[in-house]
Amino acid sequence: MEALLTCEGLRRSFGKLTAVDGVSFQVGQGETYGLLGPNGAGKTTSISMIAGLLQADAGEVHIAGERMTPRANGAKQHVGLVPQDLALYPDLTARENLDFFARLYGLDRDRRTQRIDQILEVIGLTDRQKDRAGTYSGGMKRRLNIGIGMLHEPRLLILDEPTVGVDPQSRNAILESVENLATDGMSVLYTTHYMEEAERLCDRIGIIDQGLLVAEGTRRELIATIGEQDLVRLKITGDVTAAATACDQVEGVSSSDAEDDQVVCLVDQAASRLPALLSAVASADASVAGVEVKEPDLEDVFLHLTGRALRD
Amino acid sequence: MSGSLGNVATIARVELRRFLREKGNVFFVFILPLALIVFIGLQFGGQTGTQLGVVLEVEDDAARDLVERLDAADGLSVVEVDDQEGLTDLVSRANLSGGIVVPSGYGAALEQGERIDIGFVGRPDPGSGSLRAIVAAEVAEQTVTTAAARDAAETLGASVTDLLPVATQVRSELPRVEVTTEQVGGDELTQELQALGQFDLGASSQLFLFVFLTSLAGSGALIQTRQYGVASRMLSTPTRLPVILAGIGGGRLAIALFQALYIIVLTAVAFRVDWGDPLTTGLLVLLFCLVSAAAGMVLGALFRNDAQASGAGVGIGLVTAALGGSMVLLDFFPEGMRRVALLTPHGWANTAMAEIVRRDGTVADVAVELGALAAMAAGLLLLATWLLRRAITR
Repeated sequence: MEALLTCEGLRRSFGKLTAVDGVSFQVGQGETYGLLGPNGAGKTTSISMIAGLLQADAGEVHIAGERMTPRANGAKQHVGLVPQDLALYPDLTARENLDFFARLYGLDRDRRTQRIDQILEVIGLTDRQKDRAGTYSGGMKRRLNIGIGMLHEPRLLILDEPTVGVDPQSRNAILESVENLATDGMSVLYTTHYMEEAERLCDRIGIIDQGLLVAEGTRRELIATIGEQDLVRLKITGDVTAAATACDQVEGVSSSDAEDDQVVCLVDQAASRLPALLSAVASADASVAGVEVKEPDLEDVFLHLTGRALRD
Repeated sequence: MSGSLGNVATIARVELRRFLREKGNVFFVFILPLALIVFIGLQFGGQTGTQLGVVLEVEDDAARDLVERLDAADGLSVVEVDDQEGLTDLVSRANLSGGIVVPSGYGAALEQGERIDIGFVGRPDPGSGSLRAIVAAEVAEQTVTTAAARDAAETLGASVTDLLPVATQVRSELPRVEVTTEQVGGDELTQELQALGQFDLGASSQLFLFVFLTSLAGSGALIQTRQYGVASRMLSTPTRLPVILAGIGGGRLAIALFQALYIIVLTAVAFRVDWGDPLTTGLLVLLFCLVSAAAGMVLGALFRNDAQASGAGVGIGLVTAALGGSMVLLDFFPEGMRRVALLTPHGWANTAMAEIVRRDGTVADVAVELGALAAMAAGLLLLATWLLRRAITR
């Protein structure tokens, strides 16, 4: 697949804090790529460099062959940005907001009118287009926020955690919209810390933590990094850390981590290893209050790669 | 319009639209300045002429003729009042400069050459004496003309009424002895202020006060643009930072100019305020608006909270207006305070405006003041650009 977006060794520091540290990845034409990571992992900083809002300390971004920098007007024409926080004027109407950004993107009058009408239809705000955005519900504002990003028909749409703080109904509508965009051939770069969204929307996923891209691939490829193993969750009464250390010594256990009141283990053939795990917990002066065995998901991949849960 | 210039206009237009959409701004921009200009004009403005109240106890030709004569006198206008009590009340409250009561039987007494008294109501000030002298002169003129008609009527056996127009015509053709006046000594400032229209004084000082105040108070909108995330989203469009900054600055300037133009046009049309030479005043107002817009941008870049910025803006706006002579005339300031006034843009602007309006000043006459304002505008714009660039890209 031909790459529309190429990031090479992106690095950005704020004082002593290195927010992004050598991130490299590509997004193909028509591909939906997810950047999955917890809050503060470096997703928004990466996106800010990709959208030309921030100058990278090192590394390069190319979009459709053009190098992106804060001054690269040509490259910016290819990108539509939907920031995490709403970025619109609440005292202007939906139509006025769209018109304002359409003008900044240089759309001529006819195209402006045509695109604004289309976008209003897509985001379901045609009937409310003359109301001030400040009077909209949270979901409507989110939809308008996304609509502004799609206005100039960018080749790459960047969505930075678009469902944060959104009610379930609006969230589902947003996810459906993103799925439709991918169907229409638009490339999408989607950041989230919700594993289910990444699994549902993304062709490929990059897992980012503490400014580093720690893994990348399709969902299947990422889960395969854990191996053909099962995930065993033991609910512990007693010292969870000691129980996790004891479980780590059991044969067939490749990793064992303490997470809240649970010990999470990656185990070959979980059914045959369970008695040994229960004995190990007992040897650590703890007891098992509950057991769950399941196939691993992206959450488990993240845990496996970073030793921390996505929600940490 | 396309490209960068078009984007500057787009951003500026949205700033202006948002400003006008805020109901509170409508009050500060449209209503309060005019209300204060009217209030100051009514309280302190020079009168447009001396007003004489007249009570006519009877409506005869001679009484009507006297009213017309008085009304035609230079600098005097006549206001008819119903009764003497009302006249006394109006004069005592300084609504009228003075008044007379023309008694019934005035016309008949004049024709017959009998004595009749016209009552004069005045306040104990020098103006009353002058007004009384004008009234006495006009009454004497009417008496002489009527006496001439009466003498001719007795000689010719005709009626006074028939001959009065002839006597009036003859009197108007006779050479007069005119007394010319040259005022010497006295207070030059008082003379200048007396020459101003009733609302002239308040209009320019309130223009500077409110344009600056509105610009500073409006700095909150700038912070909102950052808080809403729109400023940084603009950076994701093919719009460079200098264009965004120019658009924001253009918006602030458009708001200041809009308000200034509104005050100038409305006061010129509705209150006949004299704004002096259009070119000089235009340049002065443009530079003052630039200073105001830049000061608003500085405030908008320094604060992170729009309510704080608006509050500080109102405070700074009022203090600088007071120091700069927009609340009390600079002419009344002691020497030291006049120097302090020149630290504010109002001080320079009010000094220039006094020259333009009171002494028909031109660009050359106020070049120093224009230069000072231009320097202030340049300095503040540079500072605002630097601060805003940091604030937006932070």
